[in-house]
Parts: sequence; C-alpha cells; structure tokens
Amino acid sequence: MGLDAATGAGVPLGRLRLSAEEHRRLRHQARLRRELTGWLFLAPMFACFVIFLVLPVIGTVWWSLRSGGLGGETKFIGFRNFTDLPDTVGAGTAITNTLVFALISVPLILIGALAIALLLARIERGGSIYRFLIYFPVLVPGVVAALIWLFMTNVDFGLFNEVARALGGKPVVWLGADHALTVLAILDVWRNVGYWALFFVAAIIGLPKELYQAADLDGASALARLRYLTLPLLRRMIFFAVVVATIWGLQVFDTALVLTNGGPGTATTTVIYRVWLYMFGATNKIGVASAISLVLIIAILLLTLVQMRLLRGRRGGD
Amino acid sequence: MVATIQLDAAQHARKRVRSRRQREFARHLALGLIAFILVAPFYYVLLASLKDSTEIFSYPPKLLPIPLYLGNYRDLLWDTGFLRWMFNTLFVASSVTVIKVFLDSMAGFALAKIDFTGKRIVFMLMLILLMVPIGALIVPLWSLVSTLGLINTYLALILPPLANPLGAILMRQFILGLPRDLENAARLDGLSEFAIYWRIVLPLIKPGLVVLAVITFTDQFMSFTWPLIATTSDELQVLTVGIAALRAHGGANYGLWSASAIMSLVPIGIFFFVLQRQFLARSLAGALKQ
Repeated sequence: MGLDAATGAGVPLGRLRLSAEEHRRLRHQARLRRELTGWLFLAPMFACFVIFLVLPVIGTVWWSLRSGGLGGETKFIGFRNFTDLPDTVGAGTAITNTLVFALISVPLILIGALAIALLLARIERGGSIYRFLIYFPVLVPGVVAALIWLFMTNVDFGLFNEVARALGGKPVVWLGADHALTVLAILDVWRNVGYWALFFVAAIIGLPKELYQAADLDGASALARLRYLTLPLLRRMIFFAVVVATIWGLQVFDTALVLTNGGPGTATTTVIYRVWLYMFGATNKIGVASAISLVLIIAILLLTLVQMRLLRGRRGGD
Repeated sequence: MVATIQLDAAQHARKRVRSRRQREFARHLALGLIAFILVAPFYYVLLASLKDSTEIFSYPPKLLPIPLYLGNYRDLLWDTGFLRWMFNTLFVASSVTVIKVFLDSMAGFALAKIDFTGKRIVFMLMLILLMVPIGALIVPLWSLVSTLGLINTYLALILPPLANPLGAILMRQFILGLPRDLENAARLDGLSEFAIYWRIVLPLIKPGLVVLAVITFTDQFMSFTWPLIATTSDELQVLTVGIAALRAHGGANYGLWSASAIMSLVPIGIFFFVLQRQFLARSLAGALKQ
C-alpha cells in the first residue's frame, strides 16, 4: 500500500515512507473515491427504484388518507378510508374473493408441482421433453390464458362440457356464480404448476445422495423415503414456495378481467380489480382505492418479512 | 450351496431391473398424462383458430382442421391492430430488458464488490420491497406518471418496470460468486473500477445476464395491469391490452380470439425453444431471491 501510494500523485518520488498526515490524507482520498464509485454504479438503478417503487409506496399511504377523485380536489380526512373499509362497497367481497382464490389455487399448485417434480427428478430418459411441455403454460400471458379458458368453459361447445357430455354427464355452467371463482383458481393452477414443478425438481436434484443410499440399504419404501427424507429436507423450499405463490395469488387481476369481468355480479372481483374500479370506474375514489391497495401491500410486506426471517434462519443453521 | 446363492443373486438382480423398468414406465405414463392435460388446451385452441364459425360450433367436434380455414388469421392481421400490438410489446420488452441488464449489473457490482456507506440499508430496502408488485401501486404510479406528463408514451411503459430490485439482487449474488483475486489483479494493473466492471465482471457473469434478460423479457411480455392503465391510445396498446380489448369490445368471435391466442404465443414460443435452459433457470431464480 505504501509503495503504491508513494508513486501516486502529490508525493515526491524516491521517498517510500509516508508521514502520518500524508497517510491519513491518502486514505481519506481513497475512501472518498470508493464511496463515489459505489454510489455512481448504484445510482441509475437506485434512482428508478426510489422514484417508481419507494415513492409510490409512500404515495399509497398519502393518498389513502385523502378523499376525492382523480383530476378533482382531494382533502385530508385521516383514517376515515380505513375505518369505513368494512362498509365500503365491494372492498370486503374483493378481499374475501382474493383469499378464497389463494386458498384454492396455492395448495393445488404446490401439491401438483411437488408430485410432478418427484416424478421428473427420478425419470431416466426423456426428462427434457416433459419439462418443455409442463413449463409451456407458464409462458402464456394471463390475458391469453383467460381467452383460452373462456373458450374451454363455454356452456354449449366448450371442451369441458364436450368431455362431460362424452362421459355421459350434464353440461355445467362453469362461469356461473357457483363455480366462477374455482375455475379462475384452476386456471391459475394450470399457469403456475409448471413453474413450481421445475423449482422443486432443482431442489430435489440438489439433495444429498448419501442419505438416499443409506435409506435404500435400510430397505425404506418409496413412501417412507418421501415422508421421512424428501419432504423434511425440502421443508424450507416448500415454505418459500407457499409464501411466494401466495403473494402472487393475491395479485390476481388480468385473468379475472378477461375470463369473467369480475362477475357474475362481484363473484370474481379481486382486490386489484376493485382498486382499478375505484380509480378508473364510475366511482372515481382515489383515497378508497389507495386504502384497499395498502391492505394488499401490508399483507405482501408481512409475508416478505416471514420469508426473510426464515431465510436468515438457514444461514445460522437450524 | 454356493451355486444356489449365486442363482438367487442373479434372480434377485433380474427382478430388481424388472421392477426398476416397471417403475420408470409408470412414471412416464403419469408424466405423459399430466403433460397431455397441460398442453391439450393449446391444441384445442389451435384447432378452433383454423375452423370457420360454423365448424367451431358443430358437434361432434372434428379433431383435425379439414378443410383448413385461414380466415381468422387474415381477420386478425388485417382488421385488428394485432401487428401494432405485437410491435409495441416486443419494442417495450426489449428496451426494458436491455436497459435493465445494464442498470442491474452495475448496481449488483456496487452491492457485491464496493464498500460504501448506506450499502446495507439500500440492500435491506430492496429485499423488503422485492415482492411489492406494480399492480398494488397503480394509484400513486398513475398520478406520478401523469404528473410527469408521460401517460400515453413509451417511456411510461418502459420506466416503471426498471424499479424492480430482483435483477440487482440476482446480479449481486452472481458477482459475489466471482473470485476476489481476479479483480484485485486487475486493480494492481491499474484498471479503473469501470474497466473492471466492463472488461472482467460482465464477461464472467454472462450466464447470469442471460437469465436476467430472460426473466425480464418474459415478465414484460406478460405484463398487463400497468400497460392497461398507462396507455389509452390505440397506437400504444401492447399485446395483452389489445387482446383484452378484443374480448371486451365486439361480439364473441371465438375463431378470432383463438387466432390471437395462438399468434401471441409464437414469439415467446420461439424464444423459449431457443433458450430453454435459461428459461428453466427462471424457476431457480426463486431460490436465489434470498
């Protein structure tokens, strides 16, 4: 370091020792340069992050404390939007719908994904073809997926009822008030099961082989291996998947808009759907829209914190 | 005595091979069925897109589109804004991808290799807000973007997605995996920090950059909520918004809808076919999110 600095600017050549003061000054300079470089590298991305993510989160809080609509006057009304939330038209239904949606779709997605992953991880040949096919629905935009399902669930000539008829059953009104939310959740299973299946395949392949060899020597059955080895070893991965899949599930909007228009009635109106209606619909209440958004943001932040605690636990050993 | 034991062992080995084959076969059967169920909708829609309106409604349905009818595709390409929507989507998605790969790899480099004040807080903040989606922020984001006068511009579609911190966190992870000796050697050789980033770090994390590019492009290709809100003019509609409009306005035209579904999957399908491995790594990005 001393040599290095001595050949640098400001120090006469031929002198390799630095006085304490020179040393301090150079160190200070180097530190300043490091600070500057660090922030310069970070700045472009961080600016976008602050302007389009941090600010809007703060903005949601600010707007949620106000009344009024887009383009008009708004004024501060304290926590009224929140205290009125239980009586706000559609807010409760939207939250219930979203929770029910997540409660149906998330377990099905993860159980299906685990089952597929267990099959895929042990297969000897042809794995890449299955992976390709199983992953394909993941790449379908929600809007397109909804269009495909709109067709399949058609009462008169949709695939579902054609199959039902072929099996001798009665045609079902799939998008009626009774089934619409379930159909929406199953659509989500179709779109997401491949994503998590491949996530679990990678996790299973990464498990220590020795344990399985030992289990084989002990004559453990396939079921015992699953119950006492694979599932416990995957515990953290599964929990991670539950949290993230739930967070994604809470955001459902595009499929609901295209498949059912939020209906029939409000049967499939989800949280973001309701926010959108309050903001751009006939009601135009920006404060209420923000208050509902904030409920969603807080739910997502809580889930994220749970996730972070969990991952920190991994580093320190169980 | 010895002979019988040997025989037993041979029999046993044969039995093991047979049961292994049986289990392999059962797995193929189950996976084949699952894959069939997951992919069948695509064939169903492809079929419908190649039928005219009377054929679509006929019962029992034909399993092959004979005679082949291309009218739906003609209507889609000529009478709707489909080509424009596709251009917008590809343009916005590529722009976001290119910009994001640079910004995020730079930020990742800073977070991984340079000690500066506030680094820990910045990183913490990114982790906490990692999962907050644009969909939950449409109210303030809309008022911000319209205050900036950007509603109905490409910038409105390109800028907000750059905020997502996943890319920077991923890049940090990749760059942390590089050996320190390499950059220290470069530093002794007098390379500037930027040269280290550009000439040493970037080439080494190329696989990571490709994964980030794939994640960003697909997310952008599929995004709907923000583009729906940020644009009102027909010229700026992206694919997802255009298709939703196709559904909302005009009567039920299943042939046209099916054609639009198939056509919109063409680019992402080709992309997927070429970059299969990187796509599948998208699922792994989840594990790196820590």
